[in-house]
Amino acid sequence: MGAPVQSLASKAPKKVTQSTANDKRHRKHLLGNKLSRYYFLFSILALCFVLGLVIVFIGKTALLLFAHVSPAEFFLSFNWTPEEDAFGAAAFIVNTLSLTALTLLIAVPVSVGMAVLCAEIAPKWLKSFIRPVLDLLVGIPSIVYGYLGLTVLLPFLRRVSGEGLGDGLLAAALVLALMVLPTICRISDDAIIAVPRKYRDAAYALGSTRLQVIMRVVLPAAKRGIISAIILGMTRAVGETMAVVMVIGNTPQLAKSLFTPSSVLTSNIVMQISNVEFDSSWNYALHMMAFLLLLISFALIFVIRVLGRKRGDA
Amino acid sequence: MKVFKKLTVTALTAVIAVTASFAGIAAAADSLKGKITVNGSTALLPLTLQAAKEFQKLHPKVKIAASGKGSVTGPQAVKKGIADIGACDWDASIDVPGFKAFDGQVANKVAVIPFATIVNKNVGVDNLTTEQLAGIFSGKITNWKDVGGSDANIVVITRSFGSGTRVNYQAKALGGGDIVKKEKNYKETGSSGDMKTAVATTPNSIGYIDLVYVTGSDIKAVKFNGVAATTDNVINGSYKIWAYGYYMTKGQPTGATKEFIDYVQSKKFQNGSLKKLKFIPIAAMKG
Repeated sequence: MGAPVQSLASKAPKKVTQSTANDKRHRKHLLGNKLSRYYFLFSILALCFVLGLVIVFIGKTALLLFAHVSPAEFFLSFNWTPEEDAFGAAAFIVNTLSLTALTLLIAVPVSVGMAVLCAEIAPKWLKSFIRPVLDLLVGIPSIVYGYLGLTVLLPFLRRVSGEGLGDGLLAAALVLALMVLPTICRISDDAIIAVPRKYRDAAYALGSTRLQVIMRVVLPAAKRGIISAIILGMTRAVGETMAVVMVIGNTPQLAKSLFTPSSVLTSNIVMQISNVEFDSSWNYALHMMAFLLLLISFALIFVIRVLGRKRGDA
Repeated sequence: MKVFKKLTVTALTAVIAVTASFAGIAAAADSLKGKITVNGSTALLPLTLQAAKEFQKLHPKVKIAASGKGSVTGPQAVKKGIADIGACDWDASIDVPGFKAFDGQVANKVAVIPFATIVNKNVGVDNLTTEQLAGIFSGKITNWKDVGGSDANIVVITRSFGSGTRVNYQAKALGGGDIVKKEKNYKETGSSGDMKTAVATTPNSIGYIDLVYVTGSDIKAVKFNGVAATTDNVINGSYKIWAYGYYMTKGQPTGATKEFIDYVQSKKFQNGSLKKLKFIPIAAMKG
């Protein structure tokens, strides 16, 4: 009897030292956890702070505009001749929205189709060719796309359409579609791959064809991912400047046809901001257009998030 | 060992002393130091960069930072205190169409910049008058056949408002006439480079640019009122589309800034590097 007790007693202190060692390690882990948590929190707060500063700065400068120009004129008038004190930005707003819509109309079917091809249909060698090529396309600076648009696409459009200039919404939308295509395609691709295998197996087991599996099972299941891919593509299309400037014509008027030289919010800002006096209504008007761009992308993201959630739940 | 150490020390001191005295002499010869920031016109930027390179060789203690964005940013940067020198294609100390005078700034002439009307190589016209140009750029003349060319729509390419090239072209080539704003065959470009590409790639197009940029076979400079766009014709007074380039300063320039402007205006630079860059020396002009 004595021996086991003794042995227990002799074991006990050993256990204690072990547990203190464990405690130490545990505490270290806890500290690490805590520190990393604070670090992440700090990063997020810093990001929010900077984002907030950007919004406040742009918004503050932008709102100075309304001391000189009525909001009604800015939002509803189509007459932008700042050198004669006419600050109507309606044409840019409408053009921006229609350019984005046209871009998505061209890019989304193609890129989602390519994503399906990549994830579901293509043999391995084709996949391992397409994916790096798409990744490469993302890395090309937008000014290069713009230059190609100016020197290759525009002469082509001129020949096809018989227009004198070729600049306009169609040229810009084609260039933008090429630019957002890899983004939408690669993210949709990932979303489709993430759909569990068993969904497909179940659908095939029920006798579905491949097309039915893709259209009725895989795409609906990957819908959220695809929608966020489209959002990312869209925000790039809304905010893209350098490529658009080179092919849209930069004329401050409403695009009445696909080949009317016109201007969008971004291209007008970049064309004029460096030539404008600091403390002028013109400068404030350009800041207001930048602020508007911010609001438009917020609104678009918000609307599509809400839509995506509703459909995703149903 | 000790001797060796001593020798080393003496040698070192000697070297240091000699260097120091030489440095002292050099410093005495060149007491000029400071930092000069130049901002503004892209047309004048090559000239500024070349001058800065040469000036810094003469005065190693002077740091010159130059950048270009557009003429009007020059005097604006000077006004805000961001730059010591604002390069501008027009005299910003007086009112010009579209831009008010910048009060308290002094315009220092540094170069003569010739401009040229350019057309795409497929355009058959090779001479245009002031009236014809004013008609084309204001949108009243829209077909090449009205000015002696073939039956084709004219595509007008222009620079955005605030460009120094545009300000000068409007004043000198269009007789102060307006440039059309809303039209089907009308396009704005952001820089001289874009302008050249646009005219080169667009059939039936017309535009305007610094003479320096007129190279290659895709664009050609047309005669203005019968006079070819050459530096010789600018100097002899027959070709009228040119302007002085200015360095704007807040008040009279002082210190290193003054020395730098003096260097750019010196005969050596004006007749040397400036001419090589295809600008025209200010001394060559009579008026």
